[in-house]
Amino acid sequence: MARMKFYCDPERCIECNACVTACKNENEVPWGVNRRRVVTINDGDEGERSLSVACMHCSDAPCATVCPVDCFYTTQDGVVLHDKDICIGCGYCFYACPFGAPQFPEDGAFATRGKMDKCTFCAGGPEADNSSDEHRKYGSNRLAEGKLPLCAEMCSTKALLAGDADTISEIYRKRVINRSASVMARGVSYRDASFRAPRNASGKSSAKE
Amino acid sequence: MARSITLQIDNRNKQHAGWLLLLLLCLFVQPFDTFAKASESRGIPSAVVLNPAAEIWRDVRQREQLTNGTSQVKGVDSGVLINAYGDQWRNFRMQQLIPIGGFLLIGVVIALALFYLFRGKVAIEGGESDKKLLRYTNYEQLIHWFIASIFLFLAISGLIILFGRPVLIPIIGKEVFSIIASACKEGHNLMGPLFLVALILIFIKFVRRNIYQKGDLSWLLRGGGIIGKKHVPSNFFNMGEKTMFWMLVLVGSVVIISGFVLIFPIFGQGREWMELAHVGHAIGAILMISVIIGHIYIGTIGMEGAIEGMKTGYCDLNWAKEHHDLWATKAEQQGEAISNDKVSQLREVSSAQPLGGHVQEE
Repeated sequence: MARMKFYCDPERCIECNACVTACKNENEVPWGVNRRRVVTINDGDEGERSLSVACMHCSDAPCATVCPVDCFYTTQDGVVLHDKDICIGCGYCFYACPFGAPQFPEDGAFATRGKMDKCTFCAGGPEADNSSDEHRKYGSNRLAEGKLPLCAEMCSTKALLAGDADTISEIYRKRVINRSASVMARGVSYRDASFRAPRNASGKSSAKE
Repeated sequence: MARSITLQIDNRNKQHAGWLLLLLLCLFVQPFDTFAKASESRGIPSAVVLNPAAEIWRDVRQREQLTNGTSQVKGVDSGVLINAYGDQWRNFRMQQLIPIGGFLLIGVVIALALFYLFRGKVAIEGGESDKKLLRYTNYEQLIHWFIASIFLFLAISGLIILFGRPVLIPIIGKEVFSIIASACKEGHNLMGPLFLVALILIFIKFVRRNIYQKGDLSWLLRGGGIIGKKHVPSNFFNMGEKTMFWMLVLVGSVVIISGFVLIFPIFGQGREWMELAHVGHAIGAILMISVIIGHIYIGTIGMEGAIEGMKTGYCDLNWAKEHHDLWATKAEQQGEAISNDKVSQLREVSSAQPLGGHVQEE
């Protein structure tokens, strides 16, 4: 059985924010809500790194543990989804989540918190696949169409990967080996090595030896 | 001679054995040796290649220091990659607050039930007299029932949100519970600020009579009359009531302030503040609910005549003498005791008049 995961490669992420925009457009998320965000550490300094974060679809999700109405569920693909018909917008998932994934539109008493909205791994919600209800509440259901989340699909540097955990980790494992091999064998910097295509895990250098 | 030859041979054998050992060792060491030579020849150390950003990702876990980044997505905490306190808060809520809080509240109810079984209803020893004393004005009754109804609503809705998942969902199911919980959350948020108004009114009205006095320590030492048979003299409010008042004011303030932090996530407070506020809100609320359960017990089944003052405004003279001796004696001396007939007359008039019209405040 597949176990869907995101992986963002900080050596490749160039902070273009295209994943954020693509997600907003594809899922037509409510105003003020961003299911995905790019965080830059040491912005403008040496060693700056960027990382795209959304719901990480935890195997043992803290949000699901603390939810007072038990509205979370994990699909067969390992995607953590929630039922907006049951959600009461209390905000507890936001306190428990390590990644800050749950977002709240301005709604409810004093217009402070409406029903929670978060990344669905482009897998919709509990309603029938690609029904209008599902689209209105959760955005598109690309997984049901056999497609992966749009943020990862259109990432220009392929920093953001989405898919079955085994596949993703295999791709990343090859990248890491390639980087180390390139650094060791060719003497290129780690960052430059990050953009090399792996070729038999040995790396290819444009610099002449 | 022969001896010396054999000795020589022995020595040779030993030398051979030594060579063999060295050769074997060399064979084992060989691969590492050549590897080291190969990498050294290119001028690159043979060590493992570290990700230069490894330190960043260690810091981002926020275990030792706070490492915040920036994000084009503007929002509270949007630059924080990992919220390290979420885990602690989850453990507090799931492993401490729900089980310990639940058992504490059940414990209070069981303790009161046992106390009732042993002690029964505390009766007015002298029986009801034919005279009454004015205990609470209409306005005082009004604000009492105002804060009481808000408190009950907030307590019940809060307890439903806290204990609903383990207690109610198995019985009524998620869908029905969601409707109730949603109403509780909206109601809790709407009524919460009113509790502040009610508490301010109560504080202004009752604070003077709740300042601790001389006799309060002896009341406490004698357990408010539970120890021994005799009643302990006290003023308008006894030590227990005063303590409840101050607890309500102080813990109530904590609950109100933390409540504002929780319902208005618009002051720019981060998750750490909201988690902390939730801890204070929950502990404070459970303490208040436990004490108020005791307060309700005394007012309803625990003591004869205790609720009369809040129901009608007047309390029985004998009850007052037994429980609030200092106040009752003084009031009686000043001729404030009124006969039962007069009381019913006054109450008829007051019900036709606007609030607090006829009653002189003390």
